[in-house]
Amino acid sequence: MPKLELTPAQKSIILAPVGNPRAVFLHGPAGCGKTTAAVERLRYLLDIGVRGDSLLVWVPQRSLGRPYSTALRGPDVPAGPTVDVVSLDGLARRTLELFWPLVAADAGFDPLRSPTFLTLETTQYYLDQVVEPLYQEGAFGDVTLPRNRLMSQIIDNLNKAALVGFAHTEIASRLSSAWTGPSSRERVYEAVQRAATGFRDYCLAHNLLDFALQVETFMRFVWSRPECQAFLLRGYRHVIADNLEEDIPVAHDLLRAWVKQADSALLVMDEEAGFRSYLGADPRGAAALRDLCDREVLLDLQQVASAQVMALGAGLAYSSRSPLRQGQTAAPDMADMRSALAVDQWHFHTDMLVFVADEVEKLVHSAGIAPGEIAIVSPFVDDALRFALVTELQRRKVPVRTHRPSRSLREEPAVLCLLTLAQLAHPHWEQRPPASQVALALTRAINDLDLSRATTLVRMLYRSKDSQPQLREFGMMRSEAQQRITYVLGERYTGLRQRLMDYQQGQPPPLDVFLSRLFDELLCRPGYGFHNDLDAAAATASLIESVRKFRWAVETSDNDELGKRYLAMVGRGVLAAQYLRSGADPDEAVFVGPAHTFLTENRPVSYQFWLFANSPAWGRRLYQPLTHPFVLTRHWPRGTQWTDEDEFQTGEETLSRLILGLTRRCREQVYLTFCDLNPRGREERGPLADRMQNLLRQARRQPERKGADGFGTGDAEHAIPGDSLV
Amino acid sequence: MGSGQATQNMPFQGIVLFRPRESQKRILSYSGGLMGVAAVPGSGKTAVLSALAARLVATSLDSDQEVLIVTLVNSAVDNFSSRIRQCLKSDYGLLPGMGYRVRTLHSLSLDVVRERPGLVGLADDFAVADEAECDRLLKEVVQSALRTRPELFSNYARPECESQSWARQSWQDDKALQVARAFIRQAKDRQSTPELLQSWLTARGDPWPLASFCASVFADYQRGLAYRGKVDFDDLVSHAYTALRLDEDYLQRCRHRWPFVLEDEAQDSSRLQQDLLALLTGSNGNWVRVGDANQAVYNTFTTANPRLLNEFLQRPDVQPIEMQESGRSARPIQELANHLVDWAMEETHIPHAGTAFRAQHLRVTEADDPQANPPGGDCRVSFFGPAQSPDRELQRVVRSLVKWVPKNPQRTVAVLTPDNARGAEFVKLLQSHGLTCVELLNKSSPARSTAETLQGVLGCLADPDSPAKLSQAFLAWQWRQVKSPETRTAVQALAASIAACPRVEEYLWPRAGVTWPNAHEFADEATQFLADFRERVQRWQAAAGLPIDQLLLTLIPDLFDQPADIVRAYRFAVVLRDYSDTNPNWTLRQLAAEIDRIASNERHLAGALGEDVTLDPEKHRGEVVVATMHKAKGLEWDRVYLTALNNYDFPSGAELDSFKSEYWFVRDGLNLQAEALGQLEALRPEGRPYVEGEPSTEARWDYIQERLRLLYVGITRARRELIATWNTGKKRTQTPAVAFTELRTFWEQSHPGVEGIGEPSSPVAPQLSPDQEERGNVA
Repeated sequence: MPKLELTPAQKSIILAPVGNPRAVFLHGPAGCGKTTAAVERLRYLLDIGVRGDSLLVWVPQRSLGRPYSTALRGPDVPAGPTVDVVSLDGLARRTLELFWPLVAADAGFDPLRSPTFLTLETTQYYLDQVVEPLYQEGAFGDVTLPRNRLMSQIIDNLNKAALVGFAHTEIASRLSSAWTGPSSRERVYEAVQRAATGFRDYCLAHNLLDFALQVETFMRFVWSRPECQAFLLRGYRHVIADNLEEDIPVAHDLLRAWVKQADSALLVMDEEAGFRSYLGADPRGAAALRDLCDREVLLDLQQVASAQVMALGAGLAYSSRSPLRQGQTAAPDMADMRSALAVDQWHFHTDMLVFVADEVEKLVHSAGIAPGEIAIVSPFVDDALRFALVTELQRRKVPVRTHRPSRSLREEPAVLCLLTLAQLAHPHWEQRPPASQVALALTRAINDLDLSRATTLVRMLYRSKDSQPQLREFGMMRSEAQQRITYVLGERYTGLRQRLMDYQQGQPPPLDVFLSRLFDELLCRPGYGFHNDLDAAAATASLIESVRKFRWAVETSDNDELGKRYLAMVGRGVLAAQYLRSGADPDEAVFVGPAHTFLTENRPVSYQFWLFANSPAWGRRLYQPLTHPFVLTRHWPRGTQWTDEDEFQTGEETLSRLILGLTRRCREQVYLTFCDLNPRGREERGPLADRMQNLLRQARRQPERKGADGFGTGDAEHAIPGDSLV
Repeated sequence: MGSGQATQNMPFQGIVLFRPRESQKRILSYSGGLMGVAAVPGSGKTAVLSALAARLVATSLDSDQEVLIVTLVNSAVDNFSSRIRQCLKSDYGLLPGMGYRVRTLHSLSLDVVRERPGLVGLADDFAVADEAECDRLLKEVVQSALRTRPELFSNYARPECESQSWARQSWQDDKALQVARAFIRQAKDRQSTPELLQSWLTARGDPWPLASFCASVFADYQRGLAYRGKVDFDDLVSHAYTALRLDEDYLQRCRHRWPFVLEDEAQDSSRLQQDLLALLTGSNGNWVRVGDANQAVYNTFTTANPRLLNEFLQRPDVQPIEMQESGRSARPIQELANHLVDWAMEETHIPHAGTAFRAQHLRVTEADDPQANPPGGDCRVSFFGPAQSPDRELQRVVRSLVKWVPKNPQRTVAVLTPDNARGAEFVKLLQSHGLTCVELLNKSSPARSTAETLQGVLGCLADPDSPAKLSQAFLAWQWRQVKSPETRTAVQALAASIAACPRVEEYLWPRAGVTWPNAHEFADEATQFLADFRERVQRWQAAAGLPIDQLLLTLIPDLFDQPADIVRAYRFAVVLRDYSDTNPNWTLRQLAAEIDRIASNERHLAGALGEDVTLDPEKHRGEVVVATMHKAKGLEWDRVYLTALNNYDFPSGAELDSFKSEYWFVRDGLNLQAEALGQLEALRPEGRPYVEGEPSTEARWDYIQERLRLLYVGITRARRELIATWNTGKKRTQTPAVAFTELRTFWEQSHPGVEGIGEPSSPVAPQLSPDQEERGNVA
């Protein structure tokens, strides 16, 4: 995109003398150039000689620091110490390690032992042990949840307590006081409390720090110590904090102290945002930071979205029921929106996906739009949907990037191959993978080995002896069978088998070391399946890291025990600690993912496709019966019950924010796609469809009133399948 | 589809002509309050309810409101939706698709729960376990519970069966599960939780081992579902009711959203459904209930209860409407149906038959009615009286059809059977005689076809070195493309060649110059065919390690090109993924085996896929529809064969009658499902006391009544011609149903000298040997 000229308002922020004003509160809707101004301010400070290591760029999550990191890698950035771009969790972890001996005893840990920082996986692993007896006694009563979801909500409650800043022992009382249903749920909340408290006690006793405990220990025992605070404040004299509305309350607390003592501060906040509220984001707390500032600047001149897209956003967001409507002007002119909106309706979602892929193909290959200028968003993107859409786009040679949320490790084919080989290399674990799994693993591990031959091979050579899996020698096959497999592949099989056999001779190293050696010494070599396969290499690295962290977190010196426990954990389907991202450059690939993920990337595009526009999931919060994103906040009055009206209003407001967030990040056009039946074959209704319908009704009326050719009318009868309504 | 008067000329595509009759006008003038409509078969209730819904949408709603229509099955949802859509567009010029919502009870419940899942302890991504999964779980739980309660069998077994291993096996494998399932469903309908039941049992000193067993199974079953993060269909309704009761604000919001509730097939409402809709409408609500208590055929061991509709119709605050005019059947057939009602209510000696029916007669329409009855002169009715074996009955009916269908290519015809197995026998024999059959049995044909295709391909991925499986995959891949007999022969020949391929890998993945087929072994076209197939299988094998849903999505574009097939296959993928998540150790072979069950369970929540769940007889002129009598409800044909009308399928309580739910090894003729429900009832603080044997006796009467109504449903499917037959069962011990004999006598007395039909003078079908004839399995 062409580089935009800076506005006078932006220039006044960028070029302001250091310390005059000392703190600026910059706010406005998304797409008005706030981050641009803040990035330029950073470069300006460096240009005028401010040391990089005295600058702190504060963001709620790493991805939101991307514009700053990119700018800091630019060729014209002055040489010198690097600028830290951090979020609270990064700072907490780093500082805790530094001050551990000083704070460990006060925080209830053993100061003589080093801390173990838990990943999401290892947190689940330990929590599982606490939850198990509660589960067995039926303590979670009338709540219907799979075990891993139950644990993730307990973890979420602990995180909320730490991020909001209340004692973790208050979880049950806060949830109960807002609950309007039967008292049986209060007993469940008590069970949740017992699990959370038990887990916390266990962590303290074993020097384990999950995310919540890291934040809490940092805030209560590091940040609160004058010497620690002085260390941090003395170092970073200039603060630029962006996307404050997406940050958490304790981060705002910390910034409050920081800004007061900094030589200069620029605080940046998006209005009508706060898309991470379910993770604890606190837009109201962010807005309160303006009190600290000497100057307040509003940037509201839209630089991203066209006027037509803005009109569309306003039309949909400021509906009659929207709480954001107050103070807004009359309904926007429908004619303004014509070029900004395409509405299509389909009966089957599969037809809709094909249509979207066709349209994207046209944009990319015929209209010359860069793939990075297109986003396909949906309120949900499950694996099947993601896979179907990505396949359609790839078939049309359109590069895609997807954001795949945490998923079970065992679903990665390369990981499953490695873990199967680990089972074969440790027959004394007595874990016998099914023959079909071994055949698949061999096809992954041995280059050119097809599934038919692998199956034949396994049928003839894979045995079980005393409950132990065993791969027999290739030479034990009849020569006719060897010919079928071919000698070349037989040789590779022999190489792999020999490696696994050799390994059994010595003392077993830790599982991560085994995997690492297997990869380095065999699988990445020519003739084997991971050779020149970057995706498999990345998955292997991810697995090795996961096992290594597990080893650090689990107190056992018995490597067999460690391996068995890890495999058992994977077998239970725990979520991977890290997101596996596609490696595509955001500028060169079409985004496919949930609408919220797109928003938290804060990266505008020219074209957006909104899928399943009639889904009720648009604007709806995640329902988790054992936690509550709005009750477990600072703003929810203790003792107040959460009612249906709260639920409804929150949903409406969330939808309005979502619509505004999306349209303010769209330059040209929104494709709104409806389909009668969702992927499970159900007909759905949702609030976005209702708002669109209202807009269409207004559009029908307007031409008569104005005597002009108005909004394109849709005859929904003709719109099926796939007829454009607008 | 359906019997509405507007459907005669345009049976399914839409409504052009709708001129209401007097009773229909009264319904259409409805503006609010409680209304109960008793509608006879063919009275046009779907048309009038659709028209009423459209009027209410057009005239009585705010922009954020909807008319809610609740009906029984998905096919009816489809039918209502398209009719209302059409009305809104043609009669009112409004945007179709908005302002109303048509739901089955389960999909309505899902809507209610999905909006506020937290109220009932569910997360937003909770899943609904399908019937196959529920059955699997229940079986596990039942078998585990039986291991700790071996004495339960002895308590109820006949003395001579106590030591019979096959009797015990039958109890353990199947019957105990049926008892537990009925108990759990009833408990859920009554909103009785396992905890509540346990407290009642404890308070009463745990008096009945059957109730104790069932309550324990219920608790374990619910725990198993919770562990999987799932609910079953009955939970869904119960949760919806609970959610609305728990949160008054939410209830008020729903009441505001749905100011009018129109309920179809209200005779099949359960108590919980009635309570749920009563809660939604409120004490001053607007609720129209339409049904026909005389067509209630789902109440045995389900929670449906036709008495509820009758009670509603008698309430003083309900405006009752009788819709008695029906233009479906010729007058003589109507008379026959009316006689069945009169006879059951007044004349028969069958105990309790008097309450089987509501006193309501079918009346013919006015002469100028858009759906005037077929002329009586065209009408033919035949009762085939002589005793015949099941095979003989089969042959006789098929022989009749072989003669009739070619002569009546523009007419519709159906063979109605009491159960699916018997229907399948008819299909097989009809097809062997070259007649085109349309099945309306336990699973829909398109679903089965999709399932078979997927299974064919998944089979070859589960056994990648098997030529036979590869051959099946080839057929699965190609079968949909077969349009001519020549192509069929060619495809079958190639499939046979693949099956004979000695080494699959040499075909699929040729290496080192060894390949199959050899050059010049096949014609060029066939060689190209094989090369195309090889390329596809290579791609499929490469995807075999993907999670099951992604694997299926990879296969779908190669296998299907019709939208409905693609969507159905996609749905299989989603459901299989659920299975895989719940059973992470399942192999591909195990998952593939489940597809068939998923196809059989195209069910409660499945959306409308056109031909998938809806059958329009008019689209099958010149073909033979084979359906169970239950599945035939709501449909009509020019000619109908009612088969197997004997005292096994239509008992009367006579001494020699046997009842399906009375297991052969159980003492004193006890019906254990009924006994378990009787004990459940007695556990409730306000429940009736339990006396062993009484529930079994009552269950007999209920069953007898329901089968009389089923016969009534069968008769009223016929427009012009009705042929009724019976058979002696495989043991040759069955006799004609008492109702069959009565109707036959009535017909012969009231229509003396009228020529019967369907009694061919000479056999057309190939003669079967006496031995083969004996293998019928009706009884």
